[in-house]
Amino acid sequence: MRIFDPHIHMTSRTTDDYERMFEAGVRALVEPAFWLGQPRTSVASFTDYFDSLIGWERFRAAQFGIRHHCTIALNPKEANDPRCREVLDVLPRYLAKDGVVAVGEVGYDSMTPEEDEVFARQLRLAVEHELPALVHTPHRDKLAGTRRTLDVVKESGIDPGRVIVDHLNEPTVGVVAESGCWMGFSIYPDTKMDEQRMVAILREYGTDRMIVNSAADWGRSDPLKTYRTGLAMLDAGFSESDVDKVLWQNPVAFYGQSDRLVLDELPGFAPSTETFAGNSVLRGGGNT
Amino acid sequence: MTFRLGYGTNGFANHRLDDALRVIADLGYTAVALTLDHDHLDPYADDVARKVEHVANLLDRLGLRSVVETGARYLLDPTRKHYPTLVCDEPERRIDFLNRAVRIAAGIGADCVSFWSGIQPSSVDEETAWRRMLDGIARVLDEAAKHDVPLGLEPEPGMFVQHLSEALRLREELGAPRLFGITLDVGHCVAVEPVDAATCIRRAADLLVNVQLDDMRTGVHEHLEFGEGELNLPATLAALIEVGYTGVAAVELPRHSHAAPVVASRAFGALRAALAPDSEWVSDVDHPWLVEAEEKVRREPASIATLFPAVGRKVGRAPLRPETDPKGLIHGTVDDLARTRLLAVLAEVLEPALLATEIAQLYRYGDDAERRGVLRGLAALPDETVPTGLELVKDALRANDIRLVAAAMGEFAARHLDDHNWRHGVLKCLFVGVPLAAVSDVDKRTDDELLRMVGDYAEERKAAGREVPADAVSLLEARA
Repeated sequence: MRIFDPHIHMTSRTTDDYERMFEAGVRALVEPAFWLGQPRTSVASFTDYFDSLIGWERFRAAQFGIRHHCTIALNPKEANDPRCREVLDVLPRYLAKDGVVAVGEVGYDSMTPEEDEVFARQLRLAVEHELPALVHTPHRDKLAGTRRTLDVVKESGIDPGRVIVDHLNEPTVGVVAESGCWMGFSIYPDTKMDEQRMVAILREYGTDRMIVNSAADWGRSDPLKTYRTGLAMLDAGFSESDVDKVLWQNPVAFYGQSDRLVLDELPGFAPSTETFAGNSVLRGGGNT
Repeated sequence: MTFRLGYGTNGFANHRLDDALRVIADLGYTAVALTLDHDHLDPYADDVARKVEHVANLLDRLGLRSVVETGARYLLDPTRKHYPTLVCDEPERRIDFLNRAVRIAAGIGADCVSFWSGIQPSSVDEETAWRRMLDGIARVLDEAAKHDVPLGLEPEPGMFVQHLSEALRLREELGAPRLFGITLDVGHCVAVEPVDAATCIRRAADLLVNVQLDDMRTGVHEHLEFGEGELNLPATLAALIEVGYTGVAAVELPRHSHAAPVVASRAFGALRAALAPDSEWVSDVDHPWLVEAEEKVRREPASIATLFPAVGRKVGRAPLRPETDPKGLIHGTVDDLARTRLLAVLAEVLEPALLATEIAQLYRYGDDAERRGVLRGLAALPDETVPTGLELVKDALRANDIRLVAAAMGEFAARHLDDHNWRHGVLKCLFVGVPLAAVSDVDKRTDDELLRMVGDYAEERKAAGREVPADAVSLLEARA
């Protein structure tokens, strides 16, 4: 199984996770910029975070044979804080970077006027920088939030084929399927979606424009949920090529629209744990 | 850490030895191949001990590493060139001379004593000559063992031992003594070897104790300046790096003494150019996009902010020397080189204060590749940007991304970084696995305090039952 995890917050994960992911077949991923679990209080903490997404975390992932990409944006939660909104001015610098494959996560948290404005402005940035957009849907009042999201996307003039609407579930998948946007599902241990429900959705809606992610972060989550969804699909009678389409080809097709995906194997990377054993880079990585 | 570029004093035959050493050091060489001769540290002079001490001090002051060469033409016999030899009927004086050379090498701290077989006289058959070689070398090895000075047998066109294969076979027959190494003249490889110099280097690899650099044409034993013959100099030097050679590689132009300083300067330029990315690689980045980007930066300097991040996507990211440096840590990558060129253009059009601000911004908002590009480009910028450059280098040395650490320890750091931070940079390289070949001027800047730090680090590794990095071992051994 080759896996592209299109949404995972590796900054919050350990090297053990990278090793297990590589073993399970993960060879590439996208790490969307989001909040940190507690509020930021200044633009500087955003830029340091962005620097890590385009620098250190890419380097770290490469040590484990995994190609790292990211998306850059002011997230909807912090769009409400005037101390954070100024980060919008430095976004263009970051949107020009090599590993940046979309503007995201943008969208709604509490559907405030501030969120409206920041969301629309960042969709414009996506158009200007010829990048796709990754849109987060709210945890609360999800269906209404998703509908409003699709309206804003439509108004912005961005091609729906260049937008993924994420964290969908049974009540919200239908409207997004109709919109022409791509559909993202976060498979979690006990919130959002699980593997079995995901399989049921794939049965009902098919595999086109369907993207599955682990969205693993600092909360209770599992970076192997993509892999487990693949297994559940096979158990349910989906073919290997269906699994490959959902776990690899679809995210590659979506983020490939940025023209910035790098997917060739990392040099000198053999799929064995011995590769890590004598690697002084890994040793130094933690100690200096 | 890599080999040391030197020049042979037999190419300075019309200079006093002290003058020759000073000129060689001033040109930028960090080593010398010292041919003992009537006017250059004559081993038969009454005051030889005092002269050895004097030369040892001078080499130390000039920061020159050395090897001892024994190819003087009329030192032993004023009428017959190179006579007597190891293979002639009366080799005693040759053996005595080589033993003296061993003691002098020990006295000046030279890496080794280099020697050749001599021409096989028509009256001596193959078997006798071979036996005389074995006997003679065995006797010099006895002296070498007393002083722990390696010997380097040099295959010499037209002489009894003229191919590398014969030298290696002699060594085998003597039981592969630890102090019996090989001196390789890369020009000779072109002239008489069946394979090219790079292949010979790989073949001799760990046995190399001394390398002589010069150009030659196939079949013609004439020492030429680089570019006048058929030698592929970049590939030859790359092979030396590849096999991990850390000894002396000195230019051997014994017939150019009449214009020594000029010829030596030209040779140094050719060596530097060959060690820099060669024209084939440079043409990889002479990409139409880059040429256009340079034009744009010239017209509109602010455009560098958007051009800089796009470099890798446009011109590629491959390492410049993939065979010897697959990660681009030592020589950098195509995009590094392209970014250096953009910075060089920027430096032409911006006044220094603005330039300093711009490079700080490019670094501050740069991803790993852009930061590397800035770091590698610093050496090409005017002196007014040095304080800014130093801040960036120190920032990079706090990172754990080995590509940044490697890029930070280049020429700019060698020239400008203070001793304390430079030493910590070197230690960090050892710690995170950046090859010391990526650090510019390691040999020149290594001091006692660094050796103390590296020694402690090695002890710490041993105490933990871990391997000591090979680069740390060689650094300590080179100064032991």
